[in-house]
Amino acid sequence: MSLLEYQYFPVTRPNKGAGGKTGAWRIVKPVVDYNKCIGCKACFMFCPESTIIPSNGKVRVDYEYCKGCGVCANVCPVKAISMVSEQ
Amino acid sequence: MIRKIISGNEAVALGVKLARVGVTGIYPITPQTTIIEKLAEMRAKGEIETEILRVESEHSAMAATFGAALGGVRAFTATASQGLLYMHEMVWWVAGSRVPVVMVVGTRAVGAPWNIWNEHTDFTSERDSGWIMAFASNPQEALDLTLQAFRISEDERVFLPMMVGMDGFILSHTKTNVLIPDQDQVDDFLPPRRQPYVIDPEDPIGMGNIFPPEGYMRLRESIDSALRNSEDVIKEIGREYNKKINPLGDYSTLNVSYKLEDADYAVVLMGAWAGDAMEAVDTLREKGIKIGMLRIRYLRPWSEKEIRSALKDKKAVLALDRSTSFGRGGGPLYVEIKSTISDVVPQIKGVVSGLGGVTVNKSDLVYIFNKFVEGLKDDVIWYYPKEVGKIELRTPRDIE
Repeated sequence: MSLLEYQYFPVTRPNKGAGGKTGAWRIVKPVVDYNKCIGCKACFMFCPESTIIPSNGKVRVDYEYCKGCGVCANVCPVKAISMVSEQ
Repeated sequence: MIRKIISGNEAVALGVKLARVGVTGIYPITPQTTIIEKLAEMRAKGEIETEILRVESEHSAMAATFGAALGGVRAFTATASQGLLYMHEMVWWVAGSRVPVVMVVGTRAVGAPWNIWNEHTDFTSERDSGWIMAFASNPQEALDLTLQAFRISEDERVFLPMMVGMDGFILSHTKTNVLIPDQDQVDDFLPPRRQPYVIDPEDPIGMGNIFPPEGYMRLRESIDSALRNSEDVIKEIGREYNKKINPLGDYSTLNVSYKLEDADYAVVLMGAWAGDAMEAVDTLREKGIKIGMLRIRYLRPWSEKEIRSALKDKKAVLALDRSTSFGRGGGPLYVEIKSTISDVVPQIKGVVSGLGGVTVNKSDLVYIFNKFVEGLKDDVIWYYPKEVGKIELRTPRDIE
């Protein structure tokens, strides 16, 4: 939709900043089992860090910013996300 | 198209049905309650597919409606009085987010003290919130303006929410003859909803996130521009409505004149008492007094051009308010009219009356108009009808 010149909207797009990078302190990380994932995006809706990225009808995790909180694994209705220990 | 004897609230509910509204956030408050009851009834019978969200307060009703609108669904809600005041925060939030939403306000007095009867103060107190604000003068107009509201609100030149006011009880509960359009006619007039941004998981956005000062100010200016530009949009859509749906109504102007062309004196008012006022104007005309009436149908955008050209050559103008603006002397209409025409009309007077359901009928209006033509001494008077004078008011207990 092309908008008229005077029209202006209070819209922002999610963005990532260097300050939000996780670094090396994370203890566990979410791993998605793509055989189980049904692409419902519940994890995407609830992720407090916006690190879940919908792609090809399923989801993947942006590990650079993920804090390993486990909310995604908890809300997943089909238990497709497991929290795996960082090596 | 059929004719039916229905109340203003039923007319609005039918308008919502015909507009194919997707989500309605509802919370009951007198005198608007029967709108949402009618919608719930139609939903129970399977006549409409509107998702009805029963929530715990008016604040939530607007929040739910707002959320649905952000998702791209045509959304509606209705409220009144304390409910609108409780909703006030969300009313601004919706306008500031530039999201099309339609709300009907069954206007009513604002407490304290408790009073459920008709008045316009709840409606007029939202006039700076960034909504387009229309006010109906009969149930037919309530239906017509509700249908037009969706179209205006969703126009790409506008993208602002719109509220339609309707006198509580006088219009909301009184049954009269209403022309109800067919679904085909409305579908032809009202295309599917369009809006610039929707909440979409595949393409995430934040609406109303924190904005730096410059961005915020620019947004405020864009709301003002959109509101001012909506004047032409309203006229254009009104003309189309006349052609496609109601050839008997005239929606090609923002405000409505009655016997104003040759008048020396003019009365400005808003809402249902326009009917009595037209009869009062006729009575004075029979006596040879050249008086006319201008009914404000759109409080926002305030059509300065239209109002100035309608009133510019009058000897005196009287603004009749059913609402208050405390500490200013007179109501909001008086203040607006004065700021619009004070350089071209020598005398502008104001009358505040009909508050809290006080009945002002034709004979009262004839009395007021006569006094106005003879010349009022004060700039603003508060008029109490004779019946009110007979009531013994139990004011302050005796303080010894």
